[in-house]
Amino acid sequence: MDHLTRLENKSIYIIREAYYQFKDIAMLWSVGKDSTTLLWLCRKAFFGRIPFPIIHIDTGYKYPEMYQFRDEIAKTWKLNLLIGRNEEKLKQGMGPDQGSKLDCCTELKTNALKQLMKAHRLKAILLGIRRDEHGIRAKERYFSPRDALFQWDYENQPAELWDQYQSTVEEEEHFRIHPILHYTEFDVWDYVKRERLPIVPLYFSKEGKRFRSLGCVPCCAPIDSNARTIDEIVEEIRESKTSERSGRAQDKENIYTMQKLRALGYM
Amino acid sequence: MLERQNYLPGLVLRKSAMKNDSEKRKALIIGLDGVPYSLLNAYLEQGVMPRLRKILDQGLGLHPMNASIPDVSSVSWTSFATGVNPGEHGIYGFVDLNPRDYSLYFPNSRDIHAPPFWEILGKTDQRTSTLGDAYRKKVQAPCRSIIFNLPHTYPAVPIHGILVSGFVAIDLKKAVFPDSAYSYLKSFNYQIDVEAETIRKDKKQFLNELFECFEMRKKAIDHFFLHEPWDLFLACITETDRLHHFFFDAAMDRAHPFHEEFIEFYGALDDWLNMMFEEFMKMSRGKGLFMVLSDHGFAPIKKEVYINPFLRKAGFLELNSEGQFFQKLGRGTRAFNLDPCRIYVNYEEVYGRGTVRKEEGPALLKEIREALNTLRGEGNEEVIDSIYLREEIYRGPRMDQAPDMVCLPKPGYDLKGGIDRKEIFGQNIFTGMHTRHDAFCILPGDYGWTEKPSIDQLASPVLQYFTR
Repeated sequence: MDHLTRLENKSIYIIREAYYQFKDIAMLWSVGKDSTTLLWLCRKAFFGRIPFPIIHIDTGYKYPEMYQFRDEIAKTWKLNLLIGRNEEKLKQGMGPDQGSKLDCCTELKTNALKQLMKAHRLKAILLGIRRDEHGIRAKERYFSPRDALFQWDYENQPAELWDQYQSTVEEEEHFRIHPILHYTEFDVWDYVKRERLPIVPLYFSKEGKRFRSLGCVPCCAPIDSNARTIDEIVEEIRESKTSERSGRAQDKENIYTMQKLRALGYM
Repeated sequence: MLERQNYLPGLVLRKSAMKNDSEKRKALIIGLDGVPYSLLNAYLEQGVMPRLRKILDQGLGLHPMNASIPDVSSVSWTSFATGVNPGEHGIYGFVDLNPRDYSLYFPNSRDIHAPPFWEILGKTDQRTSTLGDAYRKKVQAPCRSIIFNLPHTYPAVPIHGILVSGFVAIDLKKAVFPDSAYSYLKSFNYQIDVEAETIRKDKKQFLNELFECFEMRKKAIDHFFLHEPWDLFLACITETDRLHHFFFDAAMDRAHPFHEEFIEFYGALDDWLNMMFEEFMKMSRGKGLFMVLSDHGFAPIKKEVYINPFLRKAGFLELNSEGQFFQKLGRGTRAFNLDPCRIYVNYEEVYGRGTVRKEEGPALLKEIREALNTLRGEGNEEVIDSIYLREEIYRGPRMDQAPDMVCLPKPGYDLKGGIDRKEIFGQNIFTGMHTRHDAFCILPGDYGWTEKPSIDQLASPVLQYFTR
């Protein structure tokens, strides 16, 4: 069995196991390459027809290409698409310039998801995070409990030894399941290439720039690149030495640290 | 017979604990962030701190002390806690760069490469250092510590006792060990630090919040101090540093609109220090080790001085129009500066876009030193006080991460990186700046210092006390 097939098999096993354990489950789709890969794996796991809803959290700040891609794919793949928006905060004008970037993420992403999960009584969500994305995610498990406050107590989580996944849930908790945790950025692109997956065109180079990681418009920047096709991207990633998220604004804790330091005159 | 005893460590331990019970050693260390020796002296003379005066009259010495270089809290407190030079513990500032792509890196407690004294005394140290090696074998029964609000201890690691991290702690849950202590702090919404942004909107409100934060801090400290068992208690007050950053001009100026509040704060501090001292003396039957210290001094600011624009104008640094912070350093950059004045050569073998060969370093640093020495401030006065090469001040296995050169300013000139600034001189909302020479320590007895001690020498008295 080749490397990609082994990765795929493991993901499909986890997806089916998760669905078997939690009927109140959904998948979070950011429209980016990782969660689109996960979406594809979910289709494969259930032979083309995904038996649970797909959630897209719309912060109102995504690129037009992302909305267009979302709607096209939802239609062709016949997805039960749920869109989560924190309407109240959006009406109040919440954005990265109002308050901090951290507040903006908390309101428009975390709280929007919280509201949606509550409204649909969801007990578990599938996410397309990968272990190599950044430091703190290295501690993630395939099945990862969150408490009622959406907080992840990474020191207090069940061990996953010899692929025995811990998938029981306490009241008031929800589970996060990470079926592609074991993929690297390179694996994802290699898999996109093999499966000929559709991806948002922003990933391809235009005038010497392309996006390596997608998020909201104010917090994303393209990288220098001439990769115009999937093959060229795969080659670029193989050679790449800088970090994938270098075009993204700093992670939440770093943003907050920076704010605190700046308020006291550092930097 | 002796051998058999070794198989019953619990029994032996209990026996020695019983024996020591009547003469159990206790230490209370209070950290006052950014309190200058000179100000404390002035306030003692002026009668602003009568209770501290009384404490000192009981045989404790108040000494001037040097902070670490650079004189920022993360470096200074880490030097105190580990008792070793930055070259050994590896912390040189609040911000470092990832050499590969010049992105910002925020060092935290995990980046400290030497054990703090409470880990040595608690026998939980998992790192080694010269000080740790010297004392490890001398520690008999593990000593239980409560470390409260000490800067640069985030995220909190398990210790023998309780640890509540101070600045820059972000998530309270990750700032506290063990969980039970977190539950207590969470129960009254304990705040790690005052929100410094408030000052930009409303000075009065900021001061109110600062006093509230001080009250909350004291409440939490009192709780652990009185209700938890401990041998060593270390608590830091952050509010002094915040007060000084924004109101240091009010310290001695009776006409200043916030002079009264400034004095009121020191009065409240005086009360609290006295309460802690008396309670501690009762607990330790007058025999405990009582110590108070600051991590740096403060001086009024005349001007902020931005070193990166200076380096750019002098032709040592080039900026591209795109990128964030140091990611916009251009190909022509030979050196850059991190806060406060840590100069790094853009060495080819270290940095992703490095341009300087190793052998060119000394000549380049000489050139930069000469340029820096030409900096002049108000009335043509000198800005730079002293310049040190890495080898002159740092020693230890982490020297390769040290800045190539560090400058200390004349009082009044606050040196900063200022990568986003265009001009060399500027003004901000701050009225006070850190100083290295004007920190203080209060402790009993004579430690044989022939010259002014520096903060990294203060860990030894604590270790000596518990192991003598």
